[in-house]
Amino acid sequence: MESRQTRYPILEIRQLHAEVEGKTILHGINLTVYPGEVHAIMGPNGSGKSTLAGVLVGHPAYRVLKGEVIFCGRNLLELKPEERAREGLFLAFQYPVELPGVSTMSFLRAALNQIRHHRGLDELDPTEFISLLREKAAKLDLDENILKRSVNEGFSGGERKRNEILQMAVLEPKLAILDEPDSGLDIDALKLVASNLASLRRPDSAQLIITHYQRLLSYIEPDYVHVLVDGRIVISGDKSLAHELEQKGYGWVTGTPSI
Amino acid sequence: MIHLGENTRSTIISKGISAGFAHNTYRGLVRIGPNAEGARNYTRCDSLLIGDKCGAHTFPVIESANETAIIEHEATTSKISDDQIFYCLQRGLSVQDAVNLIVNGFCKEIIQELPLEFAVEAKKLLEVSLEGSVG
Repeated sequence: MESRQTRYPILEIRQLHAEVEGKTILHGINLTVYPGEVHAIMGPNGSGKSTLAGVLVGHPAYRVLKGEVIFCGRNLLELKPEERAREGLFLAFQYPVELPGVSTMSFLRAALNQIRHHRGLDELDPTEFISLLREKAAKLDLDENILKRSVNEGFSGGERKRNEILQMAVLEPKLAILDEPDSGLDIDALKLVASNLASLRRPDSAQLIITHYQRLLSYIEPDYVHVLVDGRIVISGDKSLAHELEQKGYGWVTGTPSI
Repeated sequence: MIHLGENTRSTIISKGISAGFAHNTYRGLVRIGPNAEGARNYTRCDSLLIGDKCGAHTFPVIESANETAIIEHEATTSKISDDQIFYCLQRGLSVQDAVNLIVNGFCKEIIQELPLEFAVEAKKLLEVSLEGSVG
């Protein structure tokens, strides 16, 4: 990343404090993400990983107490959730919800057209959209049947996770946050998710991957790994940090012996 | 629905949407006459609630005078959840877009049976009457 200093960051988080239901979870997060980078955020349960994702996308359950977040030069915390999405912020949910009766195809077309409208581009008509969607699904090696079914309805865990990644591929966000894209997956589905994510790496966008285990990271090769403990990033490094954590356990960074 | 002849079949699908302080009630009579051997009825009432101050009620009435008839009744109630709305917002849709999508999904089964001109009108009518129901 030798040219890091000469470019503008996609995301800059400074001294972010946030609470949920009156309990402070984030105690001063600092993180800067540049275009082209893949960052992994690891940490034990309850360390604030999902809270960080929720705060960034503006989920109403979280309240920011202090700090600032600059996203592509704009004050992210002032924007409504849908404005953040249209500006190019995407979250692959840990537990994607079902939308019964709403086909994946019509849902994604409505979403893409909102985003295109925001960027001053023409809306895609159904025929143009379907060919785009087919092309993206084929690249991710995804069964086309998923497009005709209702969003996430009756999907297996793996199908839900991969449907999130399909949406990411279609909406082309500047920053994609993936909240535990590996949870509940068997090893084959995990490899597929990892190779899908790798294929979506682009020089002008970034990925922030939240994960509990090192397993996913051995396929993804992140540029940076951060360890979140008690709402603070306690250590950052390259991907070798993830391997070290796997061997020594989180106790190594939290100062408590691992069980 | 009145069945008089042998082996007659019928389906009733009711979709009710309640928003704000609205209450929606389904009342339906399925009557099977004494000569309606092997008659068959299937009834389903689906209700969608928008907000937490509305309600849906179902009062099915079945009168059967023929013991070979098969009559089924099913009822479901679902609610547009905050999680569903937030999921749509996170994809760049407005709250109104999100409600419209979910409501249209709920009614799809009925709307797709309508002639195209009616279907378009029905969809627009739904959008107008639900404007501002969530927010």
